[in-house]
Amino acid sequence: MLSSLIFKRFISNKKKSVSVIGSGPSGFYTVCRLLSKSPVPLAVTLWEKLPIPFGLSRYGVAPDHPEVKNCEDTFTECAGKYLLGQGQKHTFQFRGNVTIGQDVKLKQLLDTQDAVVLCYGCSGDHKLGIPGEDTTKGVFTSREFVNWYNGHPDFARSKRFENFDWKHVKNVGIIGNGNVALDIARVLLSNRREEIWAGTDINPLALDLLRSAPVENVKLIARRDFIHSKFTNKEFRELWELEKYGIKGIIQPEFYQPSQFDMKSADRVFKRRVEMVSEYLKPYDLRKKNYKKFTPPADGFSRFWELDYLKSPLSISSDNEGYIKSLTLSRNELTSDNRVIQLDSRITYDIDLLVTSLGYGSKPLAEFGELNIGFSKNHAANKNGYVLDKNGAVFPDLYACGWIRKGSSGVIASTMMDAFEVADNIIKELESQKITKSGKIDLSDVKYTTWEDWEKIDEEEKIRGRNLNKPRLKFLSRSDMLTFLDK
Amino acid sequence: HGHIKKPKPGEELHVTFILKDGTQKTFEVSEGDTLLDIAQAHNLDMEGACGGSCACSTCHVIVDPEYYDALEEPDDDENDMLDLAYGLTETSRLGCQIKMSKAIDGIRVALPAMTRNVSSSDFE
Ligand SMILES: Cc1cc2nc3c(=O)[nH]c(=O)nc-3n(C[C@H](O)[C@H](O)[C@H](O)COP(=O)(O)OP(=O)(O)OC[C@H]3O[C@@H](n4cnc5c(N)ncnc54)[C@H](O)[C@@H]3O)c2cc1C
Ligand code: FES
Repeated sequence: MLSSLIFKRFISNKKKSVSVIGSGPSGFYTVCRLLSKSPVPLAVTLWEKLPIPFGLSRYGVAPDHPEVKNCEDTFTECAGKYLLGQGQKHTFQFRGNVTIGQDVKLKQLLDTQDAVVLCYGCSGDHKLGIPGEDTTKGVFTSREFVNWYNGHPDFARSKRFENFDWKHVKNVGIIGNGNVALDIARVLLSNRREEIWAGTDINPLALDLLRSAPVENVKLIARRDFIHSKFTNKEFRELWELEKYGIKGIIQPEFYQPSQFDMKSADRVFKRRVEMVSEYLKPYDLRKKNYKKFTPPADGFSRFWELDYLKSPLSISSDNEGYIKSLTLSRNELTSDNRVIQLDSRITYDIDLLVTSLGYGSKPLAEFGELNIGFSKNHAANKNGYVLDKNGAVFPDLYACGWIRKGSSGVIASTMMDAFEVADNIIKELESQKITKSGKIDLSDVKYTTWEDWEKIDEEEKIRGRNLNKPRLKFLSRSDMLTFLDK
Repeated sequence: HGHIKKPKPGEELHVTFILKDGTQKTFEVSEGDTLLDIAQAHNLDMEGACGGSCACSTCHVIVDPEYYDALEEPDDDENDMLDLAYGLTETSRLGCQIKMSKAIDGIRVALPAMTRNVSSSDFE
């Protein structure tokens, strides 16, 4: 008895403790990699601000892309495997509903853990910075819009969305042409296609309002030219393929002149993009075979999306009830070194809804200042994932990966690679680290959720969805989640 | 993931994976198994983040040029995902889209090293 107690203590003392902040793909891939590769026994804690895990896999990735969310299966398998930890080398615990920096201080983690990994992503917005952006009804950032239709608890029942007059939304402007902008365009243009949305986990309150919008025209407006378009070919093709629903893509000839592109030195991605556009701009019958997979409807096209280029928003005007009426833009020119020059020439578009899709913005945690942790532009200062202090020296035992490491770009695959690289470095450091910290964090005053709590919510969401032929029906607020768990 | 059937005697097909450290592993497999399933069933380092739905590119493999032409051409969806793969080569394919068949018996594929394919544009 005594000897087994001593043995147990010996084992538990040997574990290195690692805290990972944020349970999106970067956090979870870091956790999975650490647990599956570390020769040093680990006690891993995954902290999450929301009561539930998965970050942008759950609240970013579009509801009609469920296959992208399959990474959650890997995370679930990994969590389940290490959760109990009994007799296992490693242990894992999830601590949801805990905002690091508020409920638990970053300093507490740094004092008690052998390694701390920032994976808290980007929870802010980039703004245009033009008059009317914050006050006009019908102007939203892409993050607000996406969080709303994905049922994020901070946005799912937002009055700004619920009180907006969706019935009059015909013309839409989206600023930006990254994949997020294309997601939003697709949602708006196909809002009435039950076959796309009914069987998804989209926020049903949002879907009802979106459906009421008689969208006719969506402009995707970019500062630069076609060559600098930000979307990936996969998302782009999906938008063209909406043709079968009578939804047609347009690019004005002034912005699309393949003869002027330097195709010789173009990379594979760009070559394929040009082929795609050139084919889709042709009449249906004249296209290559693989661009004729879906026939457009016999009664023609009723909705349009347009890639618009070389314009910068300048001002928004609204009607006397404060609803957006139009957007005025400058025409732009690109210099040979790719700088954008705004010309004097102006253009005004009548629009009923404006979504600014300029990338998600990240913020330093409040303690970065006092702890002397560096932050540059849109990400934690770091070298290969090792976080740096304000003087550029490595900050001991602190790492960053995912969107907080590099800014808001990168698909899940690149986020994963990033997480693996950082986790492998952490393992190396832990192996050579002599001192082992206490690992103890007092949570007696914190109302946190566990992995088992998430499993209950997950199961309940799936049950509620099943009757409606949906994969799940999400809880739409924190209090709903916590009340359900208290029952 | 990684559910493969044991091949029937006499119908075994062969596939060789060249791992990141250069070692080779050959397996006897059944017709119809995908390279992703095979790799995962044998715990090779192939993530398959989207579970084989052609939506993530983490099952990227580099096919031995000798076998590349024996494969059916990648479709547009696969090519769109290959655009985003790390360390793309002329004979790159997605492991989840390659099914074992007699035509490619003996195929050899390498798991790419972790290098960034700089040409890809990304989510923003
Ligand atoms: C609209 C949209 C659509 C996308 N679609 C695709 C797609 O189809 N395919 C694809 O491959 N990629 C897609 N992506 C990209 C993908 O979502 C990202 O690559 C990935 O989610 C980044 O992971 P992350 O862990 O760095 O950040 P996140 O996923 O944002 O995770 C950060 C987590 O940290 C939590 N957090 C924040 N602050 C704190 C704190 N103080 N304390 C504790 N926790 C905190 C957050 O709640 C969140 O759960 C999309 C992104 C967006 C925005
Ligand atoms: S497993 Fe995702 S593309 Fe093959």
